[in-house]
Amino acid sequence: MPTGDLVLAMFGSGGDGVVTMGEMMAQAGAKDGLDVMTVEAYGPQIRGGESSCTVRLSNQPIYTQGDEVEVVVVFNWQDFLRFQGELVVAQDAVILYEESDTTPIKDVGLSLGEKARWIPVPFIALAKEAAGTTLAKNIVTLGILSEAFGVPQALIEKAIIYKFSKKKAAVLEANLKGYKAGIEWGTGIKDRVTDYYLEYEPGEARLLMSGNDASAVGALHAGCRFFAGYPITPSSEVLHFLSEWMPKVGGSIIQTEDELAAMGAIIGGSFAGVKSMTATSGPGLALMTEMLGLASMAEIPVVIIDVQRGGPSTGLPTKSEQSDLWQALWGSHGDAPRVVLAPADVEDCFHATVAAFNIAEESQMPVIVLSDQFIAQRRETMSPWSLKHEVVDRIRPTDEELAEGDYKRYADTPTGISPMTWPGIKNGQYQTNGLEHTEDGRPTSMYLVHEKMNEKRYRKLRDVRSKYSYVRKYGSEKADVGILCWGSSKGPVKEAVMRAEANGQKVSAFVPQVLYPFPRREFEEYLKTVKNVVVVEISYSAQFYKYLKTFLDLPSDTFVFKRSGGKNLTVAEVEQKIERVLELSACRREVLV
Amino acid sequence: MSAVEMIQLKPGDYKTDAKPVWCPGCGDYGVLNALYRSLAKLQIEPWNTVIMSGIGCSSRLPGYVNTYGFNSVHGRALTLATGIKSARPELTVITVGGDGDGMAIGGNHFIHSCRRNMDITYILMHNEIYGLTKGQVAPTTPTGDKTKSTFYGNPEATLDPCELAISTGATWVGRGFAGDMKVLVPLMTEAISHHGFSFLNVMSPCVTFRGDDQFKVMKEKLRNLPEDHDATSRRAAIYYTREEGVITQGVLYNTQQPSLTDRILELREQTLGDNTPPTTEEIFETFYPPF
Repeated sequence: MPTGDLVLAMFGSGGDGVVTMGEMMAQAGAKDGLDVMTVEAYGPQIRGGESSCTVRLSNQPIYTQGDEVEVVVVFNWQDFLRFQGELVVAQDAVILYEESDTTPIKDVGLSLGEKARWIPVPFIALAKEAAGTTLAKNIVTLGILSEAFGVPQALIEKAIIYKFSKKKAAVLEANLKGYKAGIEWGTGIKDRVTDYYLEYEPGEARLLMSGNDASAVGALHAGCRFFAGYPITPSSEVLHFLSEWMPKVGGSIIQTEDELAAMGAIIGGSFAGVKSMTATSGPGLALMTEMLGLASMAEIPVVIIDVQRGGPSTGLPTKSEQSDLWQALWGSHGDAPRVVLAPADVEDCFHATVAAFNIAEESQMPVIVLSDQFIAQRRETMSPWSLKHEVVDRIRPTDEELAEGDYKRYADTPTGISPMTWPGIKNGQYQTNGLEHTEDGRPTSMYLVHEKMNEKRYRKLRDVRSKYSYVRKYGSEKADVGILCWGSSKGPVKEAVMRAEANGQKVSAFVPQVLYPFPRREFEEYLKTVKNVVVVEISYSAQFYKYLKTFLDLPSDTFVFKRSGGKNLTVAEVEQKIERVLELSACRREVLV
Repeated sequence: MSAVEMIQLKPGDYKTDAKPVWCPGCGDYGVLNALYRSLAKLQIEPWNTVIMSGIGCSSRLPGYVNTYGFNSVHGRALTLATGIKSARPELTVITVGGDGDGMAIGGNHFIHSCRRNMDITYILMHNEIYGLTKGQVAPTTPTGDKTKSTFYGNPEATLDPCELAISTGATWVGRGFAGDMKVLVPLMTEAISHHGFSFLNVMSPCVTFRGDDQFKVMKEKLRNLPEDHDATSRRAAIYYTREEGVITQGVLYNTQQPSLTDRILELREQTLGDNTPPTTEEIFETFYPPF
């Protein structure tokens, strides 16, 4: 029986074209209206290192990259082995591996069931023969996959034509020959893999974006016209994208000498009246932390996107983790109010970035968007109608008010928000600083002013709390197991909850988008609806759990599922946890009876 | 311009009512006065101007000028100035600060600001010491001098900010003295007018931590550049750096090179020009499969 949901993974060395292959499949799927998600993984090498690409194609909405890989393409077992422990291969998977690789199958670390199909493929020989170059082996593979597994064949051909149309005619021709050779070879194995043949009704074409793309477009949508950044994996795509688009929308972009300068520059840009943003990862956020305090103190709206990676220090630059949470929440000297948002998927990177600008501009403080490598670098299909978001601007005093004189930049108001001027506005001049200051911005070291101004700056968070408390809830209204998680964990958790519900279990999940100011009321209301609480997070020291404990009276028997990053969270992991909690709570009930 | 705006701004019009916190006799008063006069001379509109600083005695200066002002973080003034000028190229941006702020903690930003050659003026109040933290050694303190943090005398070599500026790409470099307004005001006026990154090193005595005879000491070392000095020559300019026993004042270096500010505007012109900027929907369009 054919399938409506297929997960493929390809492994090779840099230069094998593994990622290109994944991209072409994803584009073909998106063009045909499928739900697509692709996740790339690399070793730390610049060139020639191992790389892998997982593609999930489905005729149903999907929330994760898929737990089990059903079709595995291995160009080289050595490269495959470097990803050991990061991917789960289905027991009945189809393994297409390079015929000429003599590594004994017993040494590849895969113990699969009897139904698994181990198929040696002459990728290299086919490419040489048909296209005259081994470089075309990824294209040959696309032929095999399209023929035997139903990856949209005509569209892949279009993708190949598009990809090579800028090159010499002979190159295109060779690749098309390679593609045809793959298709031909694929017919020979078709009968053995019918259960993994993708069947679907084509639909309207979808957008295909990464989280970093979505953040960058979100910034432009919100009216960001100045970006300053320093390259750092896995956030650099934001810088790359905006280097093309910022001038096109009439804005400016600068690559600074370091993250200190990037943070300084965006504070400068925003002080000058232009919505400003930077994007970085944990080590960069560490450098920006000093001036994060300046933005809090001088009340300058700025947006910082932190695409988290494994840490501490250089850590795992290319892999995801949720361990910058405390740094984002509390990293500062002094009491420095900021807002922390956490997008939960690619589409949410767009919305969270727009919301970040709205909050920053409205409440004149820094807003950190805690993205991570898992959502920032994977690609997902999206529909354009879901990408709408209202835009808010900062408030400024009117010209009439300013003409009266005596403008107070930090005037105390019921909300704590003071109308703000910027250079170019006549009579709006003010002199500000990172020193504690009075309402008119004059430096002071007086305790009474410090207390009052701290209170004013923190008061602004109340407004944020009441206006922005977007939370996601999934599953039963009353549940035996309630999962608390944040950010990119949402995908696997949501899918696990939906599967559990389908199995008749009462399970739910709660995922806040605003992490700080803490949405306490929403959390407390949710906790009333669940019997057992599980916190799920990708942080070895359980930063989220400990954060929740500072604001909530979590039950003493709260379960915590936490682990290091470096491997993306899977649905199966969450399901196992749900099972375990249900088991343990049953034992507890027995004792009580 | 309306009739009201035609009124000539006088040096006093640039003052705020805040009183400087500097010690009596500090060189920074001279720099502040020179700045008031230069701004008035150029009739700079206060509302279209930002004075940026880092941290230090001299970095308090923006509080005393009636433009937009920002006394930011130690060593980072130029990063904020760079952001302001990138985001709003039409504004006049002046950065001020001390030698510890600019040459020690802010050294990296200084060289990259020179290299970018944005249209920013950087006025360094150079007193050879850390004043605000009460007398520690600076990268500009002469070797051997005793300070609070060098009990046995400064063991390190010094750097010359003008030399660094010339070698890293600043396109206007001058040196002045807080005690010689006749030379300082025209120098500052020229620095602000220069198109590109202009760096003015003003020797500004710290009478509290370098000795109350500092004005006299510096004045005795003061020389003017020879009249035939070729300011367009990098080599000639470098000759007047790392001086011993003399302080040569004047325009050491003056050249025109492409400025990043121009490049930003050119790029905007090339990519956007008079067209309507693309909408979010149009940007999203580019993410559909391209075939």
